[in-house]
Amino acid sequence: MKNFHGIIFAYSAAPELRELVTHRTAASMPIFGRYRVIDFALSSLMNAGIHDVGVIMQRDYQSLMDHVRSGKSWDMSRKDGGIRLLPPFGMPGYHSGNYFGTMEALNGVGDYIRDIPQKYVVLLLGSMCANIDLNAAGEQHIRSGAPITAICSTTTPPTAQHRYIVGEDGFVKTARFYREGDEEGYTSMEGYIIDKELLVRMMDACAAENHYRFHRDAIAAYLAAGGKMGVYLHEGYYMPIRSVDLYYRANRDMLDPDKRHDLFTPERPVRTRHHSLVSTYYGESAVSSNSLVGDNCRIYGTVENCILSSEVVVEEGAHLRDCVIMRRTTIGRDASLECVIADKDCVIAPGTALKGSEKLPLVIPKGSNI
Amino acid sequence: MKKSCIAMLLAGGQGSRLYALTQDVAKPSVPFGGKYRIIDFPLSNCANSGIDTVGVLTQYRPLKLNSYIGNGQPWDLDVSDGGVYILPPYLGAHEQGSWFSGTANAIYQNIAFIEMYDPDNVLILSGDHIYKMDYAEMLRAHQENDAACTIAVQQVSMAEATRMGIMSVDEHDLITEFEEKPKQPKSDLASMGIYIFNWKKLKAALIADENDPNSSKDFGKNIIPNMLGAGERMLAYRFRGYWRDVGTITSLWDANMDMLSTDQINLFDPDWPISSRSPICPPHYAGKDAKIIHSIVTEGCEIYGEVENSVLSSSVKVGEGAKVLYSVLMPGAVVEDGAVVEYAIIGENTVVGRGAHIGAAPDGTDSWSVATCGPDITIRSGAVVPAAAMIYTGEEV
Repeated sequence: MKNFHGIIFAYSAAPELRELVTHRTAASMPIFGRYRVIDFALSSLMNAGIHDVGVIMQRDYQSLMDHVRSGKSWDMSRKDGGIRLLPPFGMPGYHSGNYFGTMEALNGVGDYIRDIPQKYVVLLLGSMCANIDLNAAGEQHIRSGAPITAICSTTTPPTAQHRYIVGEDGFVKTARFYREGDEEGYTSMEGYIIDKELLVRMMDACAAENHYRFHRDAIAAYLAAGGKMGVYLHEGYYMPIRSVDLYYRANRDMLDPDKRHDLFTPERPVRTRHHSLVSTYYGESAVSSNSLVGDNCRIYGTVENCILSSEVVVEEGAHLRDCVIMRRTTIGRDASLECVIADKDCVIAPGTALKGSEKLPLVIPKGSNI
Repeated sequence: MKKSCIAMLLAGGQGSRLYALTQDVAKPSVPFGGKYRIIDFPLSNCANSGIDTVGVLTQYRPLKLNSYIGNGQPWDLDVSDGGVYILPPYLGAHEQGSWFSGTANAIYQNIAFIEMYDPDNVLILSGDHIYKMDYAEMLRAHQENDAACTIAVQQVSMAEATRMGIMSVDEHDLITEFEEKPKQPKSDLASMGIYIFNWKKLKAALIADENDPNSSKDFGKNIIPNMLGAGERMLAYRFRGYWRDVGTITSLWDANMDMLSTDQINLFDPDWPISSRSPICPPHYAGKDAKIIHSIVTEGCEIYGEVENSVLSSSVKVGEGAKVLYSVLMPGAVVEDGAVVEYAIIGENTVVGRGAHIGAAPDGTDSWSVATCGPDITIRSGAVVPAAAMIYTGEEV
């Protein structure tokens, strides 16, 4: 799509993600045995032909940079434009590396935003899982005549969110911020399509008044002044990755073929960085049931209702139930794991028994030796 | 820029002994071992050996191969000085162009390409072998011995030797005699079809051979015996690792089965990665009642039935109650509910209908062999395809 520019917010991680974000930001968390969370925002942009994308980062971005690199995996390594990683302290005239809110993060890269040559900007969270048809959303935005369109989900994830109630004219009538549960209106995915000119005006107004928040300050003021906002409804799978619980849920959702085929629709393929790996080997006594298993694993034990990333080893007699295991983790002989999220590069010694619960899965931090 | 060594990969042959599998594609682009296509092995070996300029000579059905190789990025061969080049036959301004009439003629027709890099040596490879080899080590041996030509050889049994190019050597492994498919082999050192030539000497030999009307323009039949006859210093370079020719249905099936054990060839080796251009798919899914034993399974697969002793490429589907035994399933193959596939090779995107039965277990007689279905075929529900059958694309079964 011509005339669209993408901005991905990858500068924050909810504290409820605990040990999972000690070494990384939420956008670069490994998920679904193959991907990083930011792949969904990047692929949604790519599949709409949007190649010019800025990624706003703030801290703990080493793993994010290692993943995104030149943007080649998403065809975003271009002669002109392409992907730009935007760390803090990068722009002249703005010297606070702390972002108290999205408006401050945008002002932190203010010069970059002001230099965007395109007319429209797509704002997306790097920490959500959804395969959004941005072609349709962009067309709707242009057709509606409103200078801003909120991307909303028809589903309601189990966490606090902003909601928009749509009036008879098809534009937002009321906004309700930080609501829990399935009340009136639609869940905001905190993704927007906005005319660049309006975005810059909002940034200037917030900078002048020391306002930092996108929803509470910029959007609330815009709507209060009678501004028009359209709503694009995303009907597919959506899950924000805001806590260990939601992370665990999202992973387990992918064991459901309907949800999996919906998120990974062949019409809009989800791309990620490519690794040279071999296929996964199953041994003579391996059992794998209702599980997703990445490449280059070696499975000799039993795996039930699990999500395994690549290069995981499950030794003989080991039993995994309801677990999420990240890359290069080894589960020793006769170990027994239930409701465990094991981060990358862990070694679980033979015979170890670890048990969390569905409500509170046990998180094993990256590189643990247990 | 001058290069010490560039590679020329012979990828133009039809691979007629793979029948339905190479009906529409060149042999090097046939899928192999779950993640790979055959050409991934020589290309990865080149990249890992520090050879960054590779000419790929294509002729037979090159379209899939061309798009697979692309700019060479999966093998890190997208470099600014050098890289991977597809070299099809071409026409010249004043003389009639022609198809490649033999392996030597294919290189002869690309002398101008090689000269662009002004290499000291040229490595000649073929696109139908599965192996991991450090060509840099072979090049070192070639240079240390000041050889005009170095031929990689492997020890084979005397029975096998009658089907291969056989080298007799002296105590320094310098070649004294070369025989193509000898009835009574004098040695058990077989040529692996991997040659390093001093470029100046090879160029002279190619030009001389081109002018010989009786020559069949072949490395094994003409170039090598002629150079040996002219008294050139030719070295046999002994290679002891895993190496398989996958030019026949049986050898292709056998080599795929070898991938089930790491003591034959270790593809998990981070020091020598074999890279491929593979589609990015979600991890494979094993259903509630799936049973997967002694098999390799690749991204994008969805397995609801039973899989034993088999090699599954990406995005293969195995339905409920279906059984896949001792078989090779190429990318996108579908085995519908209740179907049985045993001792078989199923081509890309071929669908085996519900309850169909492909192949049969060995019955102890010599007549047994692998059943093969080419790509893009739909096998009717309930159909029976016997052992040793060969089903071509477009056939109704």
